[in-house]
Amino acid sequence: MTAFDASVEMRPRLVGQRIKRTEDPRLLTGSGRYVDDMAPQGLLHVAVLRSDQPHARIRSIDVGEAFAVPGVVAIFDAGDIAGDFKPAIPTSRMKGYYATPFRPLAEGKVRYVGEPVVAVVAESRYAAEDALELISIDYEPLPVAVSKDDAAMDDAPLLHDEAGTNVIISRTFARGDVDAAIAAAAVVVKGRFRMTRKTPMPMETRSYLAEWDRRRQALTLHSSTNIPGIICDVLGSCLDLPGNRVRVVAPDVGGSFGGKGSLNHEEMLVCVLARKLERPVKFVADRMEDLTAMSQAFDETIEAELAVDADGRLLGLRADVIGDIGAYSIYPWTGALEPVQVVSFLPGPYRMEHYRGRVRGVLTPKPPTGPYRGVGRPSSTFAMERLMDMAARKLGMDPSEIRRRNLVTAEEFPYRTGSGIIWDRSAFQECLQGVCELVDYPALLRQRDAARAEGRWVGIGLASYAELTGIGSRIAVAPGMPINTGTETASIRIDATGAVTAAFGISSHGQGLETTLAQVVADELGCRMEDIEIQHGDSALVPMGTGTYASRSAVLGGGAATKTARVVKAKVLKAAAFLMDVPVDDLEAEGGIIRARSSNATMTFREVAHAVYAQMGRIPHEQREDLVGSESYDPYLGTACASTHLAMVEVDPATFAVTVKRFAVAEDCGRIINPLIVDGQVHGAVAQGIGAALLEEVVHDEGGQLLTASLADYLVPIASTMPEIEILHVEADLPNNIGGFRGMGEGGTIGAPAAIANAVSDALAPLGIEVDTLPVTPDRLFRLVQAARGSARL
Amino acid sequence: MKPARFDYVRAESIAHAVEALAGAGGDGKVLAGGQSLMPMMNFRLVKPSVLVDINRIPDLDRITQEAGVLRLGALVRHRMTAEDGLVARHIPVLHAAMKHVAHLTVRNRGTFCGSVCHADPAAEMPMMTLLLDGTIHIASPRGDRTMAARDFLVGSLSTALEPDEMVVAVDLAIPEDGTGWAFEEFSRRHGDYALAAIAVLMARADGRMRNVRIAMMGIADTALRFADVEAALEGREGTPAAFDEAAALLQAAIQPNSDLNASADYRRHLAGALARRALAEAWQRTGETTGGAA
Repeated sequence: MTAFDASVEMRPRLVGQRIKRTEDPRLLTGSGRYVDDMAPQGLLHVAVLRSDQPHARIRSIDVGEAFAVPGVVAIFDAGDIAGDFKPAIPTSRMKGYYATPFRPLAEGKVRYVGEPVVAVVAESRYAAEDALELISIDYEPLPVAVSKDDAAMDDAPLLHDEAGTNVIISRTFARGDVDAAIAAAAVVVKGRFRMTRKTPMPMETRSYLAEWDRRRQALTLHSSTNIPGIICDVLGSCLDLPGNRVRVVAPDVGGSFGGKGSLNHEEMLVCVLARKLERPVKFVADRMEDLTAMSQAFDETIEAELAVDADGRLLGLRADVIGDIGAYSIYPWTGALEPVQVVSFLPGPYRMEHYRGRVRGVLTPKPPTGPYRGVGRPSSTFAMERLMDMAARKLGMDPSEIRRRNLVTAEEFPYRTGSGIIWDRSAFQECLQGVCELVDYPALLRQRDAARAEGRWVGIGLASYAELTGIGSRIAVAPGMPINTGTETASIRIDATGAVTAAFGISSHGQGLETTLAQVVADELGCRMEDIEIQHGDSALVPMGTGTYASRSAVLGGGAATKTARVVKAKVLKAAAFLMDVPVDDLEAEGGIIRARSSNATMTFREVAHAVYAQMGRIPHEQREDLVGSESYDPYLGTACASTHLAMVEVDPATFAVTVKRFAVAEDCGRIINPLIVDGQVHGAVAQGIGAALLEEVVHDEGGQLLTASLADYLVPIASTMPEIEILHVEADLPNNIGGFRGMGEGGTIGAPAAIANAVSDALAPLGIEVDTLPVTPDRLFRLVQAARGSARL
Repeated sequence: MKPARFDYVRAESIAHAVEALAGAGGDGKVLAGGQSLMPMMNFRLVKPSVLVDINRIPDLDRITQEAGVLRLGALVRHRMTAEDGLVARHIPVLHAAMKHVAHLTVRNRGTFCGSVCHADPAAEMPMMTLLLDGTIHIASPRGDRTMAARDFLVGSLSTALEPDEMVVAVDLAIPEDGTGWAFEEFSRRHGDYALAAIAVLMARADGRMRNVRIAMMGIADTALRFADVEAALEGREGTPAAFDEAAALLQAAIQPNSDLNASADYRRHLAGALARRALAEAWQRTGETTGGAA
């Protein structure tokens, strides 16, 4: 594989540079504008009474004296708004799947603690919450199967009667004869791995403001979403409005991590209420509401068995996965998004002939699971990388060596995995080698062994993975989902002042896309970065755009930006050629200046634009064109993105606390647009992955009640949790994609949990402990060590 | 997460504050740092009819040295306790404990006395007040009184304070010169509520432990002192065997709860591990001059 060689090819001026994020001055000085900052005249606030039952029929609702609370305007339950919308249906072409209808308020029965039941609209949120206290709901409790294993039983109580089962997703991916491969293998390792439920926890909670324009009979929703285009389309159909009378705007958005990447009950609710009341209606979730009812993540059990020959070569993998998808199949991704991707990605970045992965997605009385940074791959990588280390241990082989022997090599691309994923060229082997060189792996092993000789519990863990990013139209982001996630459009115009406006369907919510896309446009167009305004996060900007998710925006947005900028540049040069009276081939543009190579004569973009727009007749009418363009880009297959993470940890034998001593990442995200932003994405995602590995767990008790309803109980990583993160970028060439960019917003969450699980297992290898559940908390480690020592007294 | 309706009184003096509390008919709350009270109000777990803000009352933000004690006024913030020279010199164990108290923003507002009144079983202040034989100074319209910390701290989030009373200061006994000390705490993340913590004070005479004081938290409904274990160590040599024995006694004496972060078994293990560390550390420090009151 050839790395992108910056010394040979002339590097463009801006792409590749560590340019500070242009959005930061406004965000860091409090000049950002989030949904909660918006207060149009006549604004009303919503507070939601939520179910305190995991599964119950709503017998009656008594609003008591709630209307008497000063400031209360209206109170609604499902019956009051029944005729005002159609439910959203998260359809899929998967066989045997049932699409649970998605509504603003629970109708007839409730299916998880936290589900919205009654909405109070008032002049202030205080008044609305005062009213909530006076409303009582009479429930008839229904039987519940809280755990996914119970819910999957044939005689389990049904959450959605219409589905006829709780198991609404069931798929198997298979190649070869895995049973024979396992039966004949020299070494077989197996485990039952559990990635517990997480919550995405963006700093800004979910916030929605709907405004109904009575004059135009049109709806504008300001939403803390990362999929404005998708939300716009579904609202149009649920509210029976044409696309030109629904607009969804995502202003500054304070993170999503997946939690803002699906349709939310409250998002539909404010739209229905704003149209009904003909006043602006706002809902801002408080932290408890986000912890209770934002879409959650993972929650799978993976039983897997890996067969390896005596030389450590992978022969086959057999897996049975059960995913707890919560009470609803989320719109638009469906409940299949997470668990099905686990079995899709389970074979990992390895060469392996035989595979069978079976997955079931089970409805349970909990908040729906949805997208979460990494989707499926944090769980699949955790299980597969644990198995790799277990096999290496059995063979007496170093974990780096077993990976080296099995990672797909440069000559083998494109490689089709046992689940059918096609890995295109990416630096699989180079990342493994790179991270080992970065940390001086042999020296690190010696350091570990020396510590071990002193009786300390120190361990090293590797995790290699590959993912698909910037997926094009060949593959649906979620299985069988009839939404086009394969294209993005850019629309660029130069106005009479020479200013460049570039509009996109993507929606930056922390990725720094205003900076990176401006870098791409500036290089392609030949203008100055400061002359460009990047517009995004607004469904009205381009005819069709879905948003920012699945590590797609640099690939698709960057590709669309490149294609469109080239079209507009051609128009600029054509006009300049006429104005300067030189052949168009003689012209080049850079830094906002168009120069004739032969004469060194120049014109600025501003001068050309002024001539085109403001000087009537300067360019003959039959030759004159507006300096605009709009192109879309579809990477078709998408891009593979590879990485290897390495963690070194120490476990305190007295407290069982895990300290991450070192963390290193070697990753291939192709051609880097802005290394500063890539580093930031890696740092942030690794932090999130460390949270998943050591701290974070959403816990519901046996009665379906949420136990982690505050940040005192749901622990996220903090500054003192974080090690220094060393990063090596391997910029593998990607000739078939415009720009050569790969997606890289998610990877840290994929590699870090597995690397830490392997490092902790390595630290405790003298006791024969294999970590199979994350997060690996002090209490879990205590129990593992206690069991390993076979004694209650430590 | 918005509080229920309440009246607000900005007290100009202690007399004004307790008068307002008395007028609240048993439903008033003192607002000092608000670091526990405000979240509880936002969750509507607490709905005071009157909030009495004492932040403008003069002279309550002082740490002073009185006869044999340090006196911490009702508006002494955690950050002041953590950085105070008198505390660092005379009660180094408290200085060490302050490093574990929450995060900077909480330390800037939260108060020592407020935390003692809140009586969280996993907070440092009630435990340190017990360890340091604290005396609580209480004012009410009925007059002033003092109370020993062990009588004041009744249970989880529960004290002997009457509804019309406020705590104006807490006295902490300055350990005698040469007292060894240790503070050990473990929490999931730095600054979180402790899963378990222990503080130890001991003197040394003729190579033996004297005047041993042990307080723990996170292992019961309240912070606890362990008179039996303290007595068992009195006059013993500071050997690993003695510390192991004491740790075992402590483990047997506690009834920890199981919760999300830690099972009872793990907490008991942790208590033993921290106790061994703390006892050995305190023993090692005996004889060091701390500039105490003696």
